[in-house]
Amino acid sequence: MSRRITASLLLALAIVATAPPRRAAAAESAAGAVTRTKLANGMTVLVRENPTAPVVAISLMLRMGTRWETRQNAGISNFLQLMVVRGTTLRDGTQIVSVADRMGGSIDAYADADYAEIPATALSRYWGEMLDLVAEIALKPSIPDGTNQAVRDFLARQIRNRADKPYDAAFDSLMARTYGDNPYAWDPLGLKESLERMDRAALLAHYRRHYVPGAMVLAVSGKVKSAEVVARAEGLFGALSAASAPAPNATPAPAPASARAVLTVPGAQAQILMGGLAPSLTDPDLAAMKVASTILGGGLSSRFFSELRDKQGLAYTTAAREPMRVGAGYFLALLGTAPANKEKAEAALREQLERIQRQAVSGEELRVAKASLLGSLAMDRRTNARQAWYMASLEVAGVGHEFLDRYVAQVRAVTAADVQRAAQRYLATVRTVVAEPAQ
Amino acid sequence: MSRAHRGRGGVLLVVVALFLASGCAGRSGGAGGAAGGELPPPIRQVLPNGLRLIVQDHRAADIVAVYLYVGVGVRYERPDQLGYSHFQEHMLFKGTDKWGPGYIDRTVEGVGGRTNATTSFDFTDFYMLVPKESTETAIQTLADMAFRSSFDPNEVAREREVIFEEANIETDNPKTAIVRQLYGMVFADNPYGYPVLGTRPTMNAATSAILKAYNKQYYAPENMTLVVAGPVDVKTVRGMVDRIWGVIPSTGYKPVSAPTPRPLTGIVRKSVERPEQQARLALGWQAPPTNDLNGDTVDLLTTILAGAESSRLAVRLRDQERLVSSITMSYSAQMGGGIVSLRAELEAKDLERVEQIILEEIARMQADGPTEEERQLAVIRAESQHAFDTETSDGLANAYAIAETTWTLDAELGYVDRLGKITREQIRDAARRYLSRADYARIAFQPKQ
Repeated sequence: MSRRITASLLLALAIVATAPPRRAAAAESAAGAVTRTKLANGMTVLVRENPTAPVVAISLMLRMGTRWETRQNAGISNFLQLMVVRGTTLRDGTQIVSVADRMGGSIDAYADADYAEIPATALSRYWGEMLDLVAEIALKPSIPDGTNQAVRDFLARQIRNRADKPYDAAFDSLMARTYGDNPYAWDPLGLKESLERMDRAALLAHYRRHYVPGAMVLAVSGKVKSAEVVARAEGLFGALSAASAPAPNATPAPAPASARAVLTVPGAQAQILMGGLAPSLTDPDLAAMKVASTILGGGLSSRFFSELRDKQGLAYTTAAREPMRVGAGYFLALLGTAPANKEKAEAALREQLERIQRQAVSGEELRVAKASLLGSLAMDRRTNARQAWYMASLEVAGVGHEFLDRYVAQVRAVTAADVQRAAQRYLATVRTVVAEPAQ
Repeated sequence: MSRAHRGRGGVLLVVVALFLASGCAGRSGGAGGAAGGELPPPIRQVLPNGLRLIVQDHRAADIVAVYLYVGVGVRYERPDQLGYSHFQEHMLFKGTDKWGPGYIDRTVEGVGGRTNATTSFDFTDFYMLVPKESTETAIQTLADMAFRSSFDPNEVAREREVIFEEANIETDNPKTAIVRQLYGMVFADNPYGYPVLGTRPTMNAATSAILKAYNKQYYAPENMTLVVAGPVDVKTVRGMVDRIWGVIPSTGYKPVSAPTPRPLTGIVRKSVERPEQQARLALGWQAPPTNDLNGDTVDLLTTILAGAESSRLAVRLRDQERLVSSITMSYSAQMGGGIVSLRAELEAKDLERVEQIILEEIARMQADGPTEEERQLAVIRAESQHAFDTETSDGLANAYAIAETTWTLDAELGYVDRLGKITREQIRDAARRYLSRADYARIAFQPKQ
């Protein structure tokens, strides 16, 4: 579940350099037992006490995102999130960010494929006030008509800008081809045509369907007391009437096909992307395919990096991605190179995808890939913000944060034969998109 | 960029160093302030060969961060050596007399760790994040890289191509490209305005022998700081470092003083036609060098003007007049001279109006200074950044290493306390002194007509 912070205005504003760079970060904290509480109305509250630093991270997550959208309302989840953080019945958007600033923190809202999030951070002495602010945004948004148009214009520009970025343009094209009418086909930003249709009434209807206790998870990590957080959450959210989350849009993705498309994009680099469908979060092949993806392009010791970049000098950027998805996942191999190298690079990338199907990986490669994969996971979970994100997103996905323990065990158990079988199943048929600068 | 990883020593990382690390973490880390509490203070020691060692006990995770900072970067390069600090950084990953290319990546990733490096103007840094059992491996590997790299001619040739690709990425990315060009304008004819990635002629002239000599000249223990942070014991770490690093002879390296930039006079303007439709505006001013305590005041000033979500320019230009989709301002301290930069994303038709409003708001700050509420907000943001730095061992290690290399560790530790004592009048005066409305650099990226 790589976090994609697309479309979040507050983050796009990139205000200041104060946010610590979101580097890969390291392990399970020594602190760290998680308490799970189910409120009477069905809302879940997860708290992890971590006294290391005087800070707190809050994630209010919803079963809402592209997975619940259709082509007609593509982007509505992210649009709604941008609206809720831009004004409540008590204060406007400027006052919201100002209150957060005064707590030494930040608050934001955006939607992704499998969830929508209101993430917030603060100095821990303000944990209660920040929780109040998160609840206010979630429960009392004003969704004012005037702001509606400004946000729609902003989103239209974001969509325009994606088309100007070679990698984003190629990625969007590959996803659209891979997923067809399945909602993962579009970016959380949505589609130009669907955004134009969205009015306040549509946003309000979407809000009422999704902002219900059965769709909401609150996760808090930091220098806090679990019992105090639960009591405050009960006070803030306990009065909501019970209702469960709506069902997602289950339109299946089309069958994989071998196809190739070429786009013209601005810039000096050519982007080559190859990919297709991959296991979902709960598929038994997930761990094997994650290991395969790590061996191919998971880090500096991966085959793409050592063969294509270090030995053949064909790329500066090259990697493989296989994010965890609740529905059908995707695998992606990517490479950015000088236009003069593009034919050679494409052939070399394809050869890597074929070789892993043809030959079993070595024991040493398997060992390094597993350590690297699990190390990345541990590193990514060091900050409170990421801990809150993992707890909330896995709960929203329906597997709970305990999923990670099972996943780690599954990764450890993967054999070379598992990797080869998963590669044959998922890499035999891939689509290619080449985005190249105009001549 | 949503790339799975950015490659080592990328320009993106360079920019991270400029705007996040140098500008902020460097000045605004500061452990030991009121907010910290639980953390013991860092231990700083100097080995007989001159290597500076800082150890921080940090028990949030079983991960140890090892940072090596070397006092070499773009500002040390002669015009015929442009790009060599960065080329050097890349080559240290390409093999030593003990092991070949790929070894580091396999070794570090094979224990579940991470490694990368950054080249900036005043320093080059290398880090390894590893499980605590592998602390010695990280310390050993960094020493091998620094002192035993082989600079194989074939690897030099291959890596040169990789760096040329990196330059393409920098050019393609408007966010990094505009910052790069702004530096060139604010620091004209000065190393702080040179390209980190060098030029085609200098890079093509770099041979194995030249890079080896560059390594010998700058990679000396007395020009280095090693920081180890995590669940570690100071004595054990010192023992490892004595054994591995203590045996490296000092070379008598003498630090070179940083070049003072020629003052920026008049308004230097530039417009660049770009393929993207999103227009961008960047303004830059020269600012205090790292060791000048006026930098503290400039930090508060930039936060109040456009360094926070509720800063003056963000509220006026983004929320009220809706002329920009983003605006941000930051101060980046460097040893020879700092830079204040202001960057906005907007539509091309609004470029003039936005620049005019920025100047109006600067004039207002110069006349009246900030409100008390604004002053407090800026201080609390610095406190908060420090608090978030202490969350992870690498956040702390990096802040300490930058401070030790470009400033002093003590100055860093007292940072948050000092900020709290700065008055509104001092902030107003800093606006008068540093944010001239007559002398600044201005660059715009606009779509092709």
